[in-house]
Amino acid sequence: MPDKLLLRAERLVAGFGDNTVLHGLSVNVREGEIAGLFGLNGAGKSVTMKVVAGLVPAREGKVFFGSEDITKLTPEQRVELGIGNVPQGRQVFATMTVEENLRVGAVALRRRDRKRYAEVLAGVFDRFPVLAQRRDQVAGTMSGGEQASLAVGRALMSEPKLLLIDEPSAGLAPLVVEQLFETLRRIAATGMTMLLVEQNVTFGLKLVDTAHILQMGRIVYEGATASLDREQVATHLGIGRLLGAGLAGVGATNEKEEGRARKPARRARKAATT
Amino acid sequence: MEQLGRYFVIGVTSGLIYALLAVGIVLVYRGSRVLNFAQGEIGTLALYVSWAITVQQPLPWVSTLPPTEKWLVGAVAAVIVAGLVGYVFERLVVRPMADSSRLSVAVATIGLLTFLVIFESILWTPNGRILPPPVAGLGVRVLNYYVSPTQMIAVVVVVLVAAALTALFRFTDFGLGVQAAAEDQATARLMGVRAGRVSAFTWTAAAVIAAIAALLIEPTIGVFAPGYISRLFVFALAASLVGGLTSLPGAFVGGIVVGVLDSLLVYVLRSTSVGDFVGTRSIPGVDTLVIFAIILGVLLLRPNGILAARRVRVA
Amino acid sequence: MTATTATLPRSLPPILTPRRGNIILAALTCAVLPPVTARLMPHWFTGSVAVFFAVGTSTVVAAMALNVLMGYAGQVSLGHAALLAAGAYTSGLLTSNAGFPLPFFRVPGGQSMLVGIAAAGVVGGLVALIIGFPALRLRGLHLAVVTMAFGFAMTDAFLHLPAISKGSAGVNLPRNITPSFTLVQDADYLAFALLVVLLLWLIDDNLVRSKVGRAFHGIRENDALAQAYAIDVSRYKLLAFIVSGAMAGIAGALYGHSILFTNGDDVPFVFEASLALVVIVVVGGLGSRLAVVLAATAFVVTPKLFDLVHVPEAWAAAIGPLLLMVTVVRHPGGFAELLGDLRERRHRRKIESERRDQPGADDDPASTRIPELGLVAQVAPAVKRPEVAGKDLLVVDDVTVRFGGVLAVDGASLSVARGQIVGLIGPNGAGKSTLFNAIGGYLRPESGRIQFFGQDVHDLPAHRRARLGMGRTFQNIGLARNLTVLENLLMAQHHIADYDVASALAYLPRTARVERDLEQRAWQALKAIGFEEFAYRKAGNLSGGQQRILEMACVLITGPELLMLDEPSAGMSPGAAENLAMRLRDLRDRLGRTVLLIEHNVPMVLDVCDYIYVLNYGAVLAHGSTEAIARRPEVIAAYFGEQVA
Repeated sequence: MPDKLLLRAERLVAGFGDNTVLHGLSVNVREGEIAGLFGLNGAGKSVTMKVVAGLVPAREGKVFFGSEDITKLTPEQRVELGIGNVPQGRQVFATMTVEENLRVGAVALRRRDRKRYAEVLAGVFDRFPVLAQRRDQVAGTMSGGEQASLAVGRALMSEPKLLLIDEPSAGLAPLVVEQLFETLRRIAATGMTMLLVEQNVTFGLKLVDTAHILQMGRIVYEGATASLDREQVATHLGIGRLLGAGLAGVGATNEKEEGRARKPARRARKAATT
Repeated sequence: MEQLGRYFVIGVTSGLIYALLAVGIVLVYRGSRVLNFAQGEIGTLALYVSWAITVQQPLPWVSTLPPTEKWLVGAVAAVIVAGLVGYVFERLVVRPMADSSRLSVAVATIGLLTFLVIFESILWTPNGRILPPPVAGLGVRVLNYYVSPTQMIAVVVVVLVAAALTALFRFTDFGLGVQAAAEDQATARLMGVRAGRVSAFTWTAAAVIAAIAALLIEPTIGVFAPGYISRLFVFALAASLVGGLTSLPGAFVGGIVVGVLDSLLVYVLRSTSVGDFVGTRSIPGVDTLVIFAIILGVLLLRPNGILAARRVRVA
Repeated sequence: MTATTATLPRSLPPILTPRRGNIILAALTCAVLPPVTARLMPHWFTGSVAVFFAVGTSTVVAAMALNVLMGYAGQVSLGHAALLAAGAYTSGLLTSNAGFPLPFFRVPGGQSMLVGIAAAGVVGGLVALIIGFPALRLRGLHLAVVTMAFGFAMTDAFLHLPAISKGSAGVNLPRNITPSFTLVQDADYLAFALLVVLLLWLIDDNLVRSKVGRAFHGIRENDALAQAYAIDVSRYKLLAFIVSGAMAGIAGALYGHSILFTNGDDVPFVFEASLALVVIVVVGGLGSRLAVVLAATAFVVTPKLFDLVHVPEAWAAAIGPLLLMVTVVRHPGGFAELLGDLRERRHRRKIESERRDQPGADDDPASTRIPELGLVAQVAPAVKRPEVAGKDLLVVDDVTVRFGGVLAVDGASLSVARGQIVGLIGPNGAGKSTLFNAIGGYLRPESGRIQFFGQDVHDLPAHRRARLGMGRTFQNIGLARNLTVLENLLMAQHHIADYDVASALAYLPRTARVERDLEQRAWQALKAIGFEEFAYRKAGNLSGGQQRILEMACVLITGPELLMLDEPSAGMSPGAAENLAMRLRDLRDRLGRTVLLIEHNVPMVLDVCDYIYVLNYGAVLAHGSTEAIARRPEVIAAYFGEQVA
C-alpha cells in the first residue's frame, strides 16, 4: 500500500527582510512517520518549520497538508486543519497555570466540538501524570522538563494529525531529553505524524524514521535513518572529525551491540582522565 | 479638615474616571503592546457625536425626549461611533503593522490623535461645548461634597466594566485567548487563537471604554473642546503605569491613587500654609508637574509597575 | 547625507570650494531677498506676509531639531514644543529686561537679540537634559511617555509659574541687535531668521559629516553595536538631546521675535505642536534633513495655499496626520524613503539581474571567496598598545552570570595568549554568547575577574574595552544597516577620529583633515575587500555573505589586538568557511593577531584553532589543544547529548 504524504513542501523560497534563507527547499513527510530536519545553525531548519506552521510567508513555493494547499493560510487556520505546534523554546504561557495552558491549546478543539474537551484533557493528563499533579501550578515556575511536557501536552489538546516540534531538546539535561523522546516515540506509535527539528544529532537520529539534512536553505541529503550513510551525514553536518561514538545507531544494524561494546571503553577512559 | 474630606471624595470620583481610561490603555497595551495615544481623543470625539445628536442638530423625535433618555440616545450613538473608529483603525493600521516596531504603531496613534483633533475643529469649530448631564440634581452628600448623580452612575459603570472584563478574561475561551495573545502572540496563534479577532476586540473595546469614560466625566469638567480629554490622558497614563501597563486591577487602583493624589495636592496648595510658602495659591499646572515626576519615578524605578501582573521567568 | 568631503577642483583657488560658494550664495539670498522684495512689492509682500514666513522658519528649525534627535539618534520625543517655549521665554526675559540682565551687549530695554537667541539655545539644550538623562535608562514607548509628560509639565506648570511668566501678560521680545540697530521692518527680520536657519543647517550638516553624526546613527541602530565601535553611548545620547534642545530653543526664540510677544499658551508651545513636529519629521523621513525641511515648509505653506483657492485652511491641517498614518503603515521612511526607493529600485533591479544570471551567486557553494582580511588589518593605523605582562592577552577567571534565576555562565575560566586562535564551542544555549558579552562588557557578571592586557577591566564599560583593543562581531551581523558601506567603515573608525565635538560642529580644518584620513583608510579597506562598487550602497542592501565580510572589515579597520568573533561562519557554505579559516590563520601568522572564536562549525574549529574550550550549561566542560579535545568523550557527549555516566 503506497504511503500517503501528509505534508508536502515544494520549492520553498523564504527568509527575513532582504535575507533569503530557503532557496527552493522541498521536503515530504509520510503519514504516520517521524521526520527530522537536521543541519548547522543558519541552514534553514527553523525557517522551514515556521513556513510550515504559517508564521513566515513563503515567497515562492507551496505547502500541502493532505490534499489541501495551505500556503496562504494563517497559523490559526492551520491549527484548525490539524497541525499542532511545539514551538522553539517551548514557549509555555508563563503567567498561566498548567490547566489554563492546556485550555489555550484546546481553543480550536472547543470551537469544533466542545464536549470532547474533558475527554481530551483526561487523555493528556494520562499521558503526562506530572501535569495532572501540577494542574494549578503557574507554568513559569516549572522545570525545563516539566515545561517540555506541558508544551507537548498543549499541542496535543487540539487533536492534531501532524505535530511540528522545533528543537525539543534545547536546554534540557540529557536524561530529560531521553524521557521526552521516549514519550514522543509513544505518541508516534499511536499513529501521529511528526516533523522535528533537532540540533542534537545523535538523539535526533535515534528518534526519527526519516532524516533530512539541510545546508544553506536546501535539502542536501535525506533518507530512512536505518539506511543513511554515516560518512555522508557527518560531512553534510560538518562533524567529520568528531565521529566515532557520536554516530552509533546510524547505518549500523547491530547498534545495540556496538553501543554496549562501547560503554565500558568510555567508562574506562573517563576514569583515566579524572 | 472637612475640606480634606471634600477633596478626598473629589479625588476618588475623578480617580474612577482615570481608572476607566487607564483600563482602556492597559487593554490595548496587553493586546498589542502598543500605547494608544489617541485613547483620550476618541473620548472627545464621543462627546462631540453625543452633542451633535442631542444639542446641535437633534432629530425631531430626539428633541422631544426627556433629558435622561436623550442623553442615552446620544451616548449610544457616541459609543457606536467610537467603536467604529477603534475597529477601523485596527483593521487599516494596526493589523498591517503586525511586524513593525511597537513604537511605529504608537506613532500611528499619534496621527490618529492629531487627525481627530483637527476633524473635530473642522466639523464643530474649536469653541467649547457643553453636554447636559443624564440626570440633573445636586446628588448625595458625602464628606462635605455633593456627589452628583452622574458621578454615582460613573461608579456603578466603572465597577460593571471592570467586572465584565474580569469575567471575560477568566471564564471565556475568548478571554483566555486574549490573555495568551497578550503574553505571546506568535505562540498563541500557533495554538489556534485567532489573533485578528483578539486584536479587533481589544481596540474596539478600548475605544468604547474611552467613549464611556468621557461621557461620564463630562458633567464634572463642564466645557469641552478639541483635545480636552487628551489632557486627562496623561493622568490615565500615570495610572496605568502603576500596573506596569499590563495589569487591569493595577490600572484601576492606579486611577484612584492618581485622582486622590492630584486632588489632595490641589487642596494642600490652595488651603494650607504650604501653598503660601510656595508662593502661589493655585498653579494651573502643578498637578501635571507631579504627574511627570510620578511617571518618571515609576518608569525608572519600577518599569514593571508597582502592582505588576504575575511576571515569571520561563526556564 | 553621505560623509564625503568636498573635493577641490583645481581651477578655483583653494579657499573657494563649491560648498563654500554655495554657502555664500545662499547667505546672500537670505539676506537680500526679503528686504528687496518687500521694498519692490509692498502691496503683496506686506509685513504680515513676512511675519508669516518668519514664523515658518521657526517651524522649520524645530523640525530640524527633532530630526536630530529622532532621525539621527533614534530617540523619541513627544514634548519638543516645551523646548521652544523655554527658548522663547529665555530670549524674551533677556531682551526685554524683564528678567536677569547681563553686563554685555546691553541695548535699550535689555540685551541684544543675538544674546537672547544664543541664550535660548543654551537654555534649550540644558532643559532637554531633563529628558536626556532618563533617556539613558528608558527606551521606545517608555521614553515617549516621559517626554509627553515632560511636555505637559513644562507648558502647563513651569511657564505659568509667576516667577517666569510674569502673569498671563506674557513677555515681550524686541528685535534689538545693537544699541542703535533694531530690525523694525518685518522683512528685515525675516532675512535675519533665514540666516539663522542657514547657520543651523550648516551646523547640522557638519554634524552629519563628522563622527558625531555617525555615532548618533550607531546609537539609533543598536546600542551594543555602537559600543562595539567604541562609541560612548551615554555621552552621545546626552549630546543628541543637548543639540536638539538647543536648536529647539532657538526655534522658539525665532518665533517669539517674529511676533514680538509671547505667553505660554501660544500655538507652537502646546502639546499638539509637539505632535505636529512628530508628524512632520516622520512624514518627511526620519534622518533626512532636506526631506524634513521640505515637509516642514509644506506644513507651513499648505494652509495658505488652500486659502488662496478658497478651501478652508483647517482642512490642510488634516492632511498631515493622514499622511502620517499612511507613511507609518506603508513607507516607514517617509518621503525620503520614497525618493531613495526610486534610486534603490534601480540598484535592486541591477542586483537582481546579476543574481538571476548566476543563480544564488552569493550563496552558490562554488562562490566561496573571502577577501584577504590581512590586507584590511594592515590598513589600520599603528597604535601603541600596552605591553602584556605574561603571555596572556585575555584572562577570564571564574566568571558567573545570572539572569534573574537562571544561571547562564557558571564559574567559567579561560585565557587567550597573544597570537593564538582560541575556539569556544558548545551546543546552543551553553552560554557562549553570554560569556562573550561578559568579556566585552555588554553585561556585568555576578562574580569573577576579567583581565585584558594584564589590566583588570571590571569597571570599564564596553566602549572603553573596545577602545583598548577588543573588536567583536555579532551573531546577527553588526552593521548600521541604514548607513552606506562607506559610512559604516567611517563609523567603525570612531575612536581614532581625533577631534572633539565642538570642532566637529564647526567643521574646523582639523576635523576636515582627520575626516579625509578616515575616508582614505576606508577606501583602502574597500579596495582590500573588493567592495569599491558598493561604497554608496546602504549596508542593509548587501547580501548576507557580503554583510559578513563588511562587518569583518569594519572590525579590523582599527586594528584591534583581540578579535572576538561570534559564529562568523553561520550561514556560509563549507567552502567559504574553509576560506575564512584560512584568512584567520593569515591574520595570526602574518600579523600576530589574537582571535577568540565562537563556532558551531566543527571542522572549521578543528582546522583553525590552537586551543579549544568546550562549554555546556554555562560551565567549561573541557579545554585543551585541538587534538586533545577532538578525542574527548565529554566533548562528543556535549555535542551529541549522550549520557555522561
